Amino acid sequence: MAKVTMVEAINMAHAWEMAHDPSVVVLGEDVGANGGVFRATVGLQQRFGAARVQDTPLAEGLIAGAAIGLAAQGIKPVAEIQFMGFIYPAIDQIASHMARLRNRTRGRLSCPLVLRMPHGGGIHAPEHHSESLEAVLCHHAGLRVVCPSSPARAYGLLLASIRNPDPVIFLEPVRLYRFIRQEIEDDGQALPIDSCFVLREGADLTIATWGAMTVECLKAAEQLAGEGISCEIIDVASLAPIDFDTILDSVVKTGRLLIVHEAARTCGLGAEIAATVTEQALYDLLAPIRRVTGYDTVMPLYRLEYDYIPSLARIVDGVRATLAE
Amino acid sequence: MTVFKLPDLGEGLSEAEIVRWHVKVGDHVALDAPMLSVETAKAVVEVPSPISGTIVALHAQPGERIETGAPLIEFAPDPGADSGADAGTVVGQMPGALVEDAAGAALEAANAVTRPRVRAVPAARALARSLGVELGSLTGTGRGGLITLDDVMAIGLPARGASSKMHPAPAPAAPRPPAASPAAPAGAAAGGPADVEQLRSLRRAMAQSMALSRDSVMACSVFDDADLHRWRGGADYSTRVLRAIAAGARAEPGLNAWYDADSQSRTLFEHVNVGIAVDTADGLLVPVIRQVDQLDAAQLRVELDRLKLAARERTLKSEELRHFSFMLSNFGMMAGRYATPVVVPPAVAILGTGSVRQDAVALDGKVQVHARMPLSLTFDHRVVTGAEAVRFLGAVIADLERPE
Amino acid sequence: MSTLAARFEIPYRACLDNDGNLIGPLPQFAQDGALLQRIYRTMMCARTFDAKAVNLQRTGKLGTYPSCLGHEATHVGVGAAMRPEDVLFTVYREIGTKFWRGVDLHSVLLYWGGDERGTLYPSAPQDFPFCVPIGSQMPQAAGAAFAMQIRGEQRCTLVFVGDGGTSQGAFYEAINFAGAKALPLVCVIVNNGWAISVPVRQQTAAQTLAQKAIAAGVPALQIDGNDVLIVREAVGEALARARSGGGPTVIEALTYRLADHTTSDDAARYRDGAQVEAAWAREPIARFRKFLYARGLWDEAAEQALKREHGEQIEAAVRQYLATPKQSTDAMFDFLYAELPPGLYAQREQARRYAAPRA
Repeated sequence: MAKVTMVEAINMAHAWEMAHDPSVVVLGEDVGANGGVFRATVGLQQRFGAARVQDTPLAEGLIAGAAIGLAAQGIKPVAEIQFMGFIYPAIDQIASHMARLRNRTRGRLSCPLVLRMPHGGGIHAPEHHSESLEAVLCHHAGLRVVCPSSPARAYGLLLASIRNPDPVIFLEPVRLYRFIRQEIEDDGQALPIDSCFVLREGADLTIATWGAMTVECLKAAEQLAGEGISCEIIDVASLAPIDFDTILDSVVKTGRLLIVHEAARTCGLGAEIAATVTEQALYDLLAPIRRVTGYDTVMPLYRLEYDYIPSLARIVDGVRATLAE
Repeated sequence: MTVFKLPDLGEGLSEAEIVRWHVKVGDHVALDAPMLSVETAKAVVEVPSPISGTIVALHAQPGERIETGAPLIEFAPDPGADSGADAGTVVGQMPGALVEDAAGAALEAANAVTRPRVRAVPAARALARSLGVELGSLTGTGRGGLITLDDVMAIGLPARGASSKMHPAPAPAAPRPPAASPAAPAGAAAGGPADVEQLRSLRRAMAQSMALSRDSVMACSVFDDADLHRWRGGADYSTRVLRAIAAGARAEPGLNAWYDADSQSRTLFEHVNVGIAVDTADGLLVPVIRQVDQLDAAQLRVELDRLKLAARERTLKSEELRHFSFMLSNFGMMAGRYATPVVVPPAVAILGTGSVRQDAVALDGKVQVHARMPLSLTFDHRVVTGAEAVRFLGAVIADLERPE
Repeated sequence: MSTLAARFEIPYRACLDNDGNLIGPLPQFAQDGALLQRIYRTMMCARTFDAKAVNLQRTGKLGTYPSCLGHEATHVGVGAAMRPEDVLFTVYREIGTKFWRGVDLHSVLLYWGGDERGTLYPSAPQDFPFCVPIGSQMPQAAGAAFAMQIRGEQRCTLVFVGDGGTSQGAFYEAINFAGAKALPLVCVIVNNGWAISVPVRQQTAAQTLAQKAIAAGVPALQIDGNDVLIVREAVGEALARARSGGGPTVIEALTYRLADHTTSDDAARYRDGAQVEAAWAREPIARFRKFLYARGLWDEAAEQALKREHGEQIEAAVRQYLATPKQSTDAMFDFLYAELPPGLYAQREQARRYAAPRA
């Protein structure tokens, strides 16, 4: 078994599926000879040929729209948007068509495809390269939005996303691309989609989080464990639709919920989780639900990015405040 | 000596491999001169010298992988040269690498302390906390055993958020706002359609509130009599006593108050809302007369009659059973001269009135016979001083002894 | 029956060959030796600064930086053709144009050093900051030109776009609008051959990028973008026409990206070193220097003096940049709105409380 980074795991998942499903085609800006700006698709063009790994012109709307057409014709596109901050020209295609083609045609046409993109900040990248815009996508019924938080989950969830019969937006936390190495069996085993992952069990409080923030939350849990505070960490992973059963079960067990996300607070996914838990488990709560999130500001340029991204201290204090209620 | 550490040469690159050094120990290098080639996960890049100086040590060999932020090379800077110290270094490493494999840390053995969970309406939970009531000791009457606000109320305690304006006293180093905050529970604020309360197990509620009082209040009682000899006209004991309580509260606001032991804070009230102990066949009920200090005798009487009737007929609205700031027990209506009535938290005092009787009174060296009302004041000595209590009682007596 | 509906041509223009020899008439503006010297100095400033910026990134002192190596003639030539009151929209590489318009070195370092104060541009208060989302500057530039037209001003808007940017819908939308309204807009397509790893021939089947303007009814031409004389001349003509109500022009400037796309890129992965080598023979500065030498406008002494001057200027700018303290966390909030809505006070306060260590 190889010890691989998340970006290598993503590459492995591409390769496995391309080897086993000839309909899988990779497209995007710089995904061919360059192997993607983060090297997620490196070597695929050499291995599977130029026909199956294609650089597109520089147009995100085109990439998303062409993926729809490809998919409706039975090709399985795995398309890359270079950075999530560049997704806006593609939103028209995603919202107006990708999310609703199946519904518009009462199931006659569909577009099983994967639109991958780097997500979030923390790598000192330039302006517009560090955005966390999952909420913009989760608002559109008909889409799945998935965000892995480890090499193993990236591998398994990307396979599941490619095999899913509906369009999946696959968010890859840039901060985790090369953060850790993990042993992964390259066996083509998918992980369940539409499902949370409990990363750590605990009794006092539930933390629901995803993407790069899972790492910070695990650190917080470790630190708090030393004080006798037991946190349960849930990697929400599938951001749309959300596996609320797992979250609710955990909240019923612990009675307290902290939601941590990097994206801005207002209309962030944390609000949706808090609202649903309030509707369904209010009487099990021992304390108000809290959120630790990015601020309602523009993602700052990189010198302030760690002032924006929720810090370990903010998470730890969020846990303590929730427990003090 | 200046140590140069491997910077993040791309975006989020955690390591690099040394391809080749263009310099060796002892070499003098100029600022920006080529120093080495490294290969990252994204590119082969040339790293120039960050300063002018002499190379003292190279910390990695070609073919070796080193982590972003690890020492790469050591210089003796030229005299007078900018040391290139990292004061302005703004790009380099992501804070805090995770040593543990994230998935390895996953699913750490459950620290499975499973506690019985009590499901409760949030407002009920908050009230119970402010009163120091263990939710586990209550039986929920809501759907699926849910503890409702009324379940907490039914133990005979006041709830929060009187309609009166409150003036919180300076809280002694309170870590958070007093639990008895002015926020009114929805039920209390609602002036809407009457939600006629089916009272349940009054006796159980009494038992619990008395036990709570015993466990938390430092009760202290003081006794005296009010001479009613100068009263004129028909005597309405109850309304006079209510008015006297208002006078007492004016003289000493510290008894018209709530005390929150959790936050060590007390709330002083502007108006006097008197909870009146009413005996019913099922047990004790404590309806509340609002803003006693604002009502005249006639209004007090009307309100008193209405509440007593409602108590007997079980038509009291739940909000009429909440939010008293002071309590009155006129046990003497039946019998008894003095008593040690029980303070019910978060209130801090209760006045008991014994049966009015004709007493032989020494006056100007002579014995006269006067009607006198025995008074028993119990106060919570945790938060009320003896002096405050007797000042209050003195004002009550003075008001009661007025002709009208 | 079949007949010709329309016929279009894309002219190509150049003044200097690769060796700095005139291959056409000397443009009128080039009579001004001092102007030519200023152009040269600015091109050299861009190149020297650029090399330093790359080194700062390589030593951990600057964020990702997109080198302008090889683009100096296009960038500086455009700046020299503009009037101060015109408005400039750039992509993110055009420091030569910014320098011409008075933006200081320190500001450029601040921006790529992750600090928004690098967009203050006191000398060019109406110019837009660098635009990272590809092509998105185009409609905004058309809007700015529209404003000038509505007010009947003698001003123009100049917008840069890259070869990759011409694949974006926003490019077509903007030039179509500019054509329809005859806006005072000059669009310079900087065709440096590469959109990161994608060469122009994979970007489009169009023989030239200039011809994309024909579909919008906008006059277009192609020029040698490594020849600063023709850049200054052609852009100057287009601006003059726009200023007099003659409408927009699209100019495709042919140059070459001699460096990696950015410091995060490794062009050796996808392009042939021989191609880069060949492109060096066409690079803009050496030929212009030869031209100036030949005309007696420049010599070795001037060159050495300029190197010293730029070295000192850049060193001072770097020192100033490295000594600039990080902004306070309030900076995240202060410029979101004209006035911060009270609903955000609590978050601003929280950000202060949890500020990361100052650096």
